[in-house]
Amino acid sequence: MKRIPNIMLSAFRNTCTTLCSHHFLNPKPYFPLFLISTQNISLPNSTSLSKPRYWHSTFFSMTSGADSPNLSSEKLEKQFEDFRVRLEESGNLKERIRAVATEIDSVTRLIYASLLLVHQSRPVAEVIEKAKSQIGVLKELYSRLSEIVSECPGQYYRYHGDWKSETQTVVSLLAFMHWLETGTLVLHSEVEEKLGLTPTEFGLDVDDYLIGICFMSNELPRYVVNQVTAGDYDCPRKVLKFLTDLHAAFRMLNLRNDFLRKKFDGMKYDLRKVEEVFYDVKIRGLAANGDSAGAKQAQGQS
Amino acid sequence: MLFYASKLSFLLMAPKPQRIRHMVGTTWQSAMKKARTMSTDDTETDSSMKDAFSKYADYLNNINDKRERVVKASRDITMNSKKVIFQVHRMSKQNKEEVLDKAVNDLKAVTDQYLSRLVKELQGTDFWKLRRAYSPGVQEYVEAATLCNFCKTGTLLTLDEINATLLPLSDPSVEPLQINILDYMLGLADLTGELMRLAIGRISEGELDFAEKICSFVREIYRNLTLIAPEMDDSSDMKQKMETMLQSVMKIENACFSVHVRGSEYIPLLGSADTSYPLLGMLDIE
Repeated sequence: MKRIPNIMLSAFRNTCTTLCSHHFLNPKPYFPLFLISTQNISLPNSTSLSKPRYWHSTFFSMTSGADSPNLSSEKLEKQFEDFRVRLEESGNLKERIRAVATEIDSVTRLIYASLLLVHQSRPVAEVIEKAKSQIGVLKELYSRLSEIVSECPGQYYRYHGDWKSETQTVVSLLAFMHWLETGTLVLHSEVEEKLGLTPTEFGLDVDDYLIGICFMSNELPRYVVNQVTAGDYDCPRKVLKFLTDLHAAFRMLNLRNDFLRKKFDGMKYDLRKVEEVFYDVKIRGLAANGDSAGAKQAQGQS
Repeated sequence: MLFYASKLSFLLMAPKPQRIRHMVGTTWQSAMKKARTMSTDDTETDSSMKDAFSKYADYLNNINDKRERVVKASRDITMNSKKVIFQVHRMSKQNKEEVLDKAVNDLKAVTDQYLSRLVKELQGTDFWKLRRAYSPGVQEYVEAATLCNFCKTGTLLTLDEINATLLPLSDPSVEPLQINILDYMLGLADLTGELMRLAIGRISEGELDFAEKICSFVREIYRNLTLIAPEMDDSSDMKQKMETMLQSVMKIENACFSVHVRGSEYIPLLGSADTSYPLLGMLDIE
């Protein structure tokens, strides 16, 4: 049996400890269980001469630290250090953005809580007054967001996910408020204006706007039901017209199978519920300009 | 079905049949015409809503079409970068130079033909907005480029260097296509897997030197990436890749180890029927 040189033994020991570390999960036995061959291998003389030289040179190439490996190692380290700095910066930015987004979320909840009072038939004007007072706060928060993002120009969409859902909720609330006041749909540009956003610097993503509008439509069936219960029988007609037009407008869009598409698909159920309420009111002649003739005819038929 | 049944009953009793008819399966155009003929002041809001939505429709059509083109370009980049990687794996002691030269040329073709398509599409906000569409292609490209570079020079192709090669693709007046730090790191993680395959292959062919160079190189990359991987945006992708990378590093290390340990016995013997070297593959006389 060939005598194992000391260098080999220490290498063996080193690798053994690596193997024993808890990280070792190698399922494939790359190395045989018998690490030292017990066979007597007879080798031709020429190869036995070349053998030590071969290993010698291998070792030297590993430990010699020739020029190019060192230089390239420096280059490598420098690059990764630079990466670390940049990633730390973007990480900090992300945290600051999330902080503002959380604040936006809590203001949104305040607005939502005020708006919910319409379901309890508080006068619309009063409810909206309360909610409107928070819009200024929102405006300020979005301008803070815009400031933070402007520190890395062109990266709006890099961090967009961090304020996306909060913004969609904001749009839905503003749209609902706008509808309560005017009976019309607030447009993308109008929402941008209300929030003090500028398309060139920090704008409102069109997708976020459209999804926000879909969320708003989700509120309408419940509103209509409660309004009728409270005695407003004209509401269903108005809501139905609005929602029908809205749904028709949405049908002009070519959507992919994404979140927006899902929300849009939900809109037709809202439309259907409102239609049912409208029908219930109509058929019983409760509507203000209800055709009692038409209603009697329906009663006759049913 | 109930939905349409209720709509039909509307038809029968509703006082304004035109308006209801427009809800039931008519085309938008005829519905619009009817809406206009109705003498309500609501047509104002209708048309402003419709105008606005036709603009939104244009916007969405444009961005979706662009996204599709980017995805297609990304797929082509992926496919052809993979071909470059397979080409590199065909390296052997005898044909190293020619194989590598062909790989480098093929890579240049990928850059000129396919990566250039991304240049056209990605301007301004698209670069980050559509990242999910082109990221896989760019990662594969980084993998191929860094692999070729390592085989030629034994060093890591840095992000700045790879981006410098992309500058000529675009007109100086437009924003150049530059690979971002995240895609570069993700591509680098995949590189280690390919290097592992290369190392094992080289060992089987007796090129232990090269395998050991790969070993220390991959160790360096792993060590450096461990520090910064968690800081990446959405680091869940990278986390998985880091685990795989460690496996690759260990495979290479184990392979080098086993060769070292067997050192005295590792003399490739021609025609040896010795079954104690099942993993060392083909045997050549030195």
